[in-house]
Amino acid sequence: MPEIGTDRWVAEFESRRVRREGPWGRLIEWSSRRWLWLFAGAAIVYPFVIGGDFGIRVGVNALLLAMLAIGLNVVVGYTGLLDLGYVAYYGLGAYGYAFLASDQFGIHLPTPVVVAVVALVVFGVGLVLGQPARRLVGDYLAILTLFFLQVFVELALNLDRLDLPFVDGPVSITGGPNGIAGVDPMEILGFRFGQVRDYYFLLLVLVILLIVGVTNLARSRTGVGWRAIREDTLAAEHMTIPSGRLKVLAYAFGATVAAVSGTVFAAVQLGVFPQNFTVALLIVVYAALVLGGEGSIPGALVGALIIAMVPELLRTPAGARLLFYGGLLVAGLTLVRPRRRLAVIVPGLLLFGLAVRALVAGIWPGLVAAETAGGVDRWLLRFSASADVVVSVLFVVTIAVALAAVAVRRRRVRDALLILGVYLLVLVWENRLVEEPSITRQLLFGALLVVLMVARPHGLLGRPRVEVV
Amino acid sequence: MGSWVAPEWRWCETMAVLELRGLTKRFGGLLVVDGLDLSVAEGEIVSLIGPNGAGKTTVFNLISGVFTPDGGDILLDGRSIVGLPRHEIARRGVARTFQTLRVFLNMTVAENVIAAEYASGTVGAVRSFLGTPAARAEAERMRAEAERRLAFFGERLVGYRLEQPAYSLSYANRRRLEIARAMATGARLLLLDEPAAGMNPAETQEITRLIGQLRDEAGYTILVIEHDMHVVEGISDRVVALDHGVKIAEGSFDDVATDPAVVEAYLGKGGAATK
Amino acid sequence: MEFFLQQLVNGLTLGGVYALIALGYSMVYGILKLLNFAHGDVYMVGAFAGYGVLVAFGGPADPRIPVVTLIVLMFLAGMLASGILGVVIERFAYRPLRNAPRIAPLISAVGVSFFLQNAALLVLGARFRSYGTARMVDPATGLQWGPLRISIIRIVVILSAVALMVVLHLLVQRTKLGKAMRATAFDREAAAMMGIDVDRVIVATFLIGSVLAGAAGVMVGLVFSRVYHFMGFVAGLKGFTAAVIGGIGSIPGAMMGGLLIGLAEAFSAGYISSTFQNLIVFGLLIVFLLARPRGLFGVPEPVKV
Repeated sequence: MPEIGTDRWVAEFESRRVRREGPWGRLIEWSSRRWLWLFAGAAIVYPFVIGGDFGIRVGVNALLLAMLAIGLNVVVGYTGLLDLGYVAYYGLGAYGYAFLASDQFGIHLPTPVVVAVVALVVFGVGLVLGQPARRLVGDYLAILTLFFLQVFVELALNLDRLDLPFVDGPVSITGGPNGIAGVDPMEILGFRFGQVRDYYFLLLVLVILLIVGVTNLARSRTGVGWRAIREDTLAAEHMTIPSGRLKVLAYAFGATVAAVSGTVFAAVQLGVFPQNFTVALLIVVYAALVLGGEGSIPGALVGALIIAMVPELLRTPAGARLLFYGGLLVAGLTLVRPRRRLAVIVPGLLLFGLAVRALVAGIWPGLVAAETAGGVDRWLLRFSASADVVVSVLFVVTIAVALAAVAVRRRRVRDALLILGVYLLVLVWENRLVEEPSITRQLLFGALLVVLMVARPHGLLGRPRVEVV
Repeated sequence: MGSWVAPEWRWCETMAVLELRGLTKRFGGLLVVDGLDLSVAEGEIVSLIGPNGAGKTTVFNLISGVFTPDGGDILLDGRSIVGLPRHEIARRGVARTFQTLRVFLNMTVAENVIAAEYASGTVGAVRSFLGTPAARAEAERMRAEAERRLAFFGERLVGYRLEQPAYSLSYANRRRLEIARAMATGARLLLLDEPAAGMNPAETQEITRLIGQLRDEAGYTILVIEHDMHVVEGISDRVVALDHGVKIAEGSFDDVATDPAVVEAYLGKGGAATK
Repeated sequence: MEFFLQQLVNGLTLGGVYALIALGYSMVYGILKLLNFAHGDVYMVGAFAGYGVLVAFGGPADPRIPVVTLIVLMFLAGMLASGILGVVIERFAYRPLRNAPRIAPLISAVGVSFFLQNAALLVLGARFRSYGTARMVDPATGLQWGPLRISIIRIVVILSAVALMVVLHLLVQRTKLGKAMRATAFDREAAAMMGIDVDRVIVATFLIGSVLAGAAGVMVGLVFSRVYHFMGFVAGLKGFTAAVIGGIGSIPGAMMGGLLIGLAEAFSAGYISSTFQNLIVFGLLIVFLLARPRGLFGVPEPVKV
């Protein structure tokens, strides 16, 4: 019998280990270790390369989203608390800044004081509202926190004509649906933030500090405790981890991060409006976190950057086309296996389009718009404005065909459905989606959450998890 | 510690690390544990045996705070721990393993053990966030401590395995990891729930020796549930047999194993004749 | 007193609707332990399907077929559309995640919900649609009972809600499918080993739950007349909480919970403040979730060690 505790596999492990070779492999190894430096470098250069104010504004949004995603990562990714009220704290931070630095109540405190007060107050609020996390798990906590968000939105919308004792006339606290405009810009150590670029660099500093801090936390007993709670709360408690206290702490930490980013958001926007803090934003933050891979800080960062920047392409038709057809191409190249099937699908697609065009133009000429430009229009139907209903129906049909293509197993049928589906998709895209960039964005985010969960629940950079269900 | 000699079994009121007095637990109308008295002395290894459904694991769950008892008292070093939160009971020196393994699957081997060192830390979240020298020092200390604990099992859980996720470990190694994790809490009393379950004969032998080492070299007091009578025979200073939540026998292994009540509990009436 | 009774009728109508929505949540949760976030949007689609039938047959003012037939058709269309949608959602968004960690289907469900809302926005636009029930059925007809008047449409709605719940109850308690559903809810794996086709049971559960939601959608359209793409969100929240209040997984509980929420909403709107009506209901729900998460009729889940 071998001696206790000797293990040849362990002893010889180093000699067996495979390393990434070649310049490409070395680059990957290097960038996976030095990703924060890479990000910082690229982010510093970005505003000078991009030039225009709009591009920097996109950068600001990306950094704000990155802060939100990294904060949410602590709550959801580490501790496993599904917090659907998260953006309420973003809103609290923004409204807090507006209360303390605008004409709303005539208070104009110095920026560092405002941010400190807001952070402390929201941390306290988080500690109180996080108490239910001690007892409620999973879906119950999710729905409860979603109620918190609804309450916040209702309050923001309705606290504008309040009758208070000892005060004449209705008092407006939140400004109701119109929000609070005319918020002070930030001013730190005598430096007055005038341009978007100033906020961009402030946010960059904040994001990097946050990443370093959260990385530190993740290595500490607090961070390890958080993850242990997510893995197995009961076992964690038996291992001396005070799960209730740590859950509340994670919740309040997330809330504080959201609130601090909210203050910057209010200052950048020079105002706060209730419609900034609804479920739509919540979905965006979740999409960012899930895309990057929950539980991973670089994942949250990358996810936020992609989610904030890529859909901006939708704003211009040229950019939207680039995004759409690029995406289609990538999807075709990666998802269709073996690739020679493309030799059937692509020509099939082209022929199908031409056939449909000839058919429809022959039978219902009224349906088709008269003017056609070059390019894709020679192939695709372009509907006249009166045929809106047709496009709507086609949209539903497209979804049905796409789902059918996922479900069908027989190769021939699948290819046929794929041809039909892609054609319809292009049709609906060119006729409707391109004109509705904001709805298209939301549709994409919704679909992204589902597709990611089904196909790659650990996102781009997360680690696949093993769970006993 | 190496020269520690197992004493003959006796009541040692003054030295009792753990004492159960009239412990009672009902699930609905069913009495699962019924007026159980049990005392475990410092440095003792006590085995809890009994047929399935005898209430053994429930006793563990009562001691470690998963359930609160309906009656009776649980004393740790003479102080009642009934009603304390689970992490507080663990902090006071009771650590356990689970019959169905519950390692933190998606954390590395080292992190599994570091997690259990929570109570030994003093640095709060703020200093950890800021990465102060104290925070760094504590993280390093915990890491070194984890490696030390894992070295108790020879080379099995050290080296590259420190950084491997726990789900990649074999079944036996997960059992070892659970024990390492329990040790890392700083506990003095270990509750081991079927440590040899699902192990092959060689591993079973190893775990038997290991439990002896835990007491002799590391000075733990151990309460163990085990079905494998070879293990029970090999390690126990004293054996307690349960059936339907009632203690039916207590004493040395030989005494209990030949006790008619125990034989009857395991084999049914008349079973003794066939054995 | 008259005002009180009027609010009571309001509350009962609302409660019937919430109860129907809650049933879908509760049944799905009972079997899959999944909070089907998209359920509210299934209800929205049902309301729109009813609206589509209404428009297709000439609109409320001048329908081409008898009003009774029209309303029956609207119910059927709403229930059919919702039922199909529910089954499709289960097949594509939840079934692949059947054995995934619990957080995954939840996020997927949130995604489905958001997708459906925006799809409806894209297809149907952002404006409110109205069933225009008042033009279809004279609001003056109905029961007159002292000072209390209940319009015929409300009677129809309350009665059909009750009828649907009775049918559901019989289905779950008396049929083979119902038995299979209860067995699956109790222990999915054991049920599968006993020869129950669990997939079919789950599909049936989604179908039934969604059909009820579709009916609820049409009812809301008939009584409150407002149909829009975002209507499912808040209704879904309240429906889920109704399920929780009744004790999730419990069918009579869901009915009670729905009624309670309907009444609470009607009375807080009538007596306290209509501005803060939602706020009050949300507040009540939060308090309830905190104080008694297992609901009125639920039993606590045992700790598994």
